[in-house]
Amino acid sequence: MYVKAEPTTDVNRNTEWFTYPGVWTIYMLIVFMSWLVVLSIFGCSPGMAWTIVHFCHFAVTYHFFHWKKGTPFADDQGIYNGLTWWEQIENGKQLTRNRKFLTVVPVVLYLIASHTTDYQNPMLFFNTLAVFVLVVAKFPNMHKVRIFGINADH
Amino acid sequence: MIKIPYFSALSTYFSFGLFFVFGHVRDFFRKILDFFHSSNLQGYAPICSGQEDFYIRRLYHRIQDCFGRPISSAPDVWFDIVHRYSNDHNKTMKRTSKVTRCLNLGSYNYLGFAAADEYCTPRVIETLNRFSPSTCSPRVDGGTTTLHKELEECVANFVGKPAALVFGMGYATNAATLPVLIGKGGLIISDSLNHNSIINGARGSGATIRVFQHNTPSHLEEVLRQHIAEGQPRTHRPWKKIVVLVEGIYSMEGELCKLPEIVAVCKKYKAYVYLDEAHSIGAVGKTGKGVCELLGVDTADVDVMMGTFTKSFGSCGGYIAGSKELIQYLEYTSPAHLYATSISPPAAQQIISSIRVILGEDGSGRGAEKLARIRENSNFFRSELEKMGFEVIGDYDSPVISIMLYNPAKIPAFSRECLKQNVAVVMSAFPAVPLLLSRARICISACHTKEDLLKALEVISQVGDLIGIKYSLAGSNKQHQEQGAKKLDRDSRIPSR
Repeated sequence: MYVKAEPTTDVNRNTEWFTYPGVWTIYMLIVFMSWLVVLSIFGCSPGMAWTIVHFCHFAVTYHFFHWKKGTPFADDQGIYNGLTWWEQIENGKQLTRNRKFLTVVPVVLYLIASHTTDYQNPMLFFNTLAVFVLVVAKFPNMHKVRIFGINADH
Repeated sequence: MIKIPYFSALSTYFSFGLFFVFGHVRDFFRKILDFFHSSNLQGYAPICSGQEDFYIRRLYHRIQDCFGRPISSAPDVWFDIVHRYSNDHNKTMKRTSKVTRCLNLGSYNYLGFAAADEYCTPRVIETLNRFSPSTCSPRVDGGTTTLHKELEECVANFVGKPAALVFGMGYATNAATLPVLIGKGGLIISDSLNHNSIINGARGSGATIRVFQHNTPSHLEEVLRQHIAEGQPRTHRPWKKIVVLVEGIYSMEGELCKLPEIVAVCKKYKAYVYLDEAHSIGAVGKTGKGVCELLGVDTADVDVMMGTFTKSFGSCGGYIAGSKELIQYLEYTSPAHLYATSISPPAAQQIISSIRVILGEDGSGRGAEKLARIRENSNFFRSELEKMGFEVIGDYDSPVISIMLYNPAKIPAFSRECLKQNVAVVMSAFPAVPLLLSRARICISACHTKEDLLKALEVISQVGDLIGIKYSLAGSNKQHQEQGAKKLDRDSRIPSR
């Protein structure tokens, strides 16, 4: 079964892969598979497993999308070195379909995690904090904003 | 339009994700271990900023034995590859003195001038004795010899332009010419799959750069219309100059540029066309004059024609061909002309001699024979690969053939398995190509005989079966294809001729 892809005009190889078909599917599949893996390894309740998945998702996506800056190769001579991956995708254009999808995923995970743990307290607080940080980091107004100079260039 | 099998797309994303995760985990532990290991590098700045060497260390080094293999003979159709081994999982490679004779499917040896040639080599050696290996001087100081003048006339005649300028290095031709052709206040519209040298030159120029979808004249027109209407950013004044950068044959895809349509669009909106014929000059066209001849475009319509001598002429260096005024202007502004050492005299002689052979001016018909052979070889190889069920991209008549692999693990598998059977191929992976579209790139030469091509096809077919890259066979006409393939196997045992 073939998928067609329009050739992109993004020259940034670090972010151009996100415009090809299949990314959203694999993202959701990886999240679901990791829930199954957590459930089988820890033997905890499904709700606890979703909370763990939500947390790891928060840690991983925050680190790679909003903390790491630049690109993992040197071909582009460092022109993106001051930008996080989130600021690089689609050349900084805001509110595209990909960005909306990536904003919705943590919220959906939060809803699943809090529903399956019955909104009980210690988990609820941490889950809410995580989703709040992630969604605020993805706002268009936060483009290139560094609060208190954290993670700014030197 | 790119077609990818859906399952390959998903598994490729997953594989690269896994590589990145493993790489980051290893880096994390390396950081912890190094914390206890003090270093005496106080006060020194780090060599790499941030994570820019992550890809090299954690992905490229794992399969380093597939890239950069040293060779110990001229890059002819059969050449000697030096064996290497590694004691630390490919982090460092050590050479041995053992060599193997392998079939060369990777060198840009389109017309076969890469090894000794009966017409060119004696003349090159004579020039080497007469002029010395290097002029030791830039063109404006003492580096212009009669040979250089002859070369420029020869190139201008060959390409079909009034004048030409020759530089010592192909990459530097683009990187040093684009900044002087256009500056701040100009607009550069470049194809999305242009070579790094063009991107480098464009970035160095200071002009505004916009990218149009690869080989899509309709999108080029859309981009042109939008930007001409908007004008320069912020001031909205009209652009000082608009240049469209395209290549003749795209080296990673083997696709020909849609030159007639692009030239028509540029004429309509009064933009200049800069054509980089690195892979197409000398290799396509009835008399080898490049894509303009092949696609029937008048060379007067292309404003700046650039090319390199590394591929079809068996030499080194690059040229810019254009109107007399353009070349005169470049002679006093281009830094590669003013400050860089001029092209080496024996290399210049090799180019002159090979152009003479191609045009038939050496008195033999070898040039025409080479051109006919490379076309036949490329078309034969491509059609056979497609019949076998490989995903092959590129156009017919182009000597660059890319076999799609998609999954990153198939890259070292293909390379190593082919090397075991003495066939040397070149692999292309991220970031030279898009993440999903890793490929093996084959460059056909006029000197490949039918036996060589058949051997290569047999090896590639076996390896393809082993690693599962015959994606086109997985369609509904699989049975039909297999029958067709079986028939081919029977027939290919009989040598043709």
